[in-house]
Amino acid sequence: MEPDIIERRGERTPLDKLLKDIALGSRQAFETLYRDSSPQLFAICLKIVSQRSEAEDVLQEVFATVWRKAAQYDVERAGAMSWLAMIARNKAIDRIRSQPQARKSEPLEMADEIADPTASPQRDAQASADRERLNECLKRLDDRRRSLIRAAFFDGSTYEELAVRIGSPLGTVKSWIRRGLMQLRECLEQ
Amino acid sequence: MSVTADGFDDLGGQSPPSDDLAAAEYVLGVLEAAPRLAAEARIASDRTFADLVSAWERRLAPLAFELRPVDVPSRVWTRIQERLGWASATPASGSVVARSLNFWRLTAGLAATAALVLLAVDIVPRWNAAKVSPPSLEAQFTHVTTLARDDGSPGWLATVDVRRGTVLMVPVPSAPDSQGRAAELWLIPPGQAPRSLGAVSVDRAHRVVVPATLRADLTAKAVLAVTLEPAAGIPHAAPTGPIIAKGAIQL
Repeated sequence: MEPDIIERRGERTPLDKLLKDIALGSRQAFETLYRDSSPQLFAICLKIVSQRSEAEDVLQEVFATVWRKAAQYDVERAGAMSWLAMIARNKAIDRIRSQPQARKSEPLEMADEIADPTASPQRDAQASADRERLNECLKRLDDRRRSLIRAAFFDGSTYEELAVRIGSPLGTVKSWIRRGLMQLRECLEQ
Repeated sequence: MSVTADGFDDLGGQSPPSDDLAAAEYVLGVLEAAPRLAAEARIASDRTFADLVSAWERRLAPLAFELRPVDVPSRVWTRIQERLGWASATPASGSVVARSLNFWRLTAGLAATAALVLLAVDIVPRWNAAKVSPPSLEAQFTHVTTLARDDGSPGWLATVDVRRGTVLMVPVPSAPDSQGRAAELWLIPPGQAPRSLGAVSVDRAHRVVVPATLRADLTAKAVLAVTLEPAAGIPHAAPTGPIIAKGAIQL
């Protein structure tokens, strides 16, 4: 379990094993998990919270939560990295919702964003397959629906903010996103 | 599916979305503060809804890995350790960790016991007073609603008295918020926006009087939640801060 041994072998302890050890109170496992996952989680927080010092604060909250909630992690319900990513998103979104001045208003790029396949290598084949599949399904949506869903996910923008950002009525934006989500689910379940 | 000229259609209308869509909207993050809080309360009290949320988290999570990792300044790790009360930066041995874990569990246990004693003290005089006119059998027993924190530990024990329209709130004492925010209690009827019941103490037991207009909503389907809010302006029209504890009402 010593981190130096793990690094010498060039292997990484699977995150779910680390979470199990953290649930039992291992600070060493917590430190390893922090080292492995914090840059990705920080990227998520920073994209939503924008302000660096705030994002650092949210990241602290994320890891304090991971320490307390590790015992609740259920491998049947989610992959470990997805579980961590969702804690980071939720904490970051909760933060911007509590600050009305943090609302985003910059115009939304409607250009087709290309996913960067080199961004963060996945730990396992299942995770990369899931990512590829989601991308395939997103590509099938029309540009508007895809851009709105991506902006909502990455920026944590509300329906109201998105309506302002693209200059369309609220009802229309809701309808585009809801239809896009249903279409996405259908595609992913095929 | 009828679409009007400006693209407005049934899915953008006023009717509430299906549970599955509501779960998707929560996960995607498009909800304003109040509906987001209502969704969080529902996740805590409705297993079926929580499963729908998990399914959407699985579907959308892969997107999060498109972002390039960003280097984290070392001060963040230092602050996390401080926050967790790990005074020294050197990793502790397992036994010390286990000891400190046991210490905290014991402390939490004692706090919960103390809270229950307080609750008993509160209930007894009421029972005595009721002897003047004999109470029905069930009136002598009250259910306790646990408002659980994120980690499952109890934050408050609430006793709802529907007849009198009161909620006795007994905190498991905790430190005041570091940002100086106050704890505010919310009643969240199923499918509705949270309604403020006012401030709630983090270290003293007290009785909250529910406004007459909200008494009909004190049902076993509603959720009680505590959020952190600016002290000024309580009761607020809608919550803005994070939920720190919540639980479905037990009657």
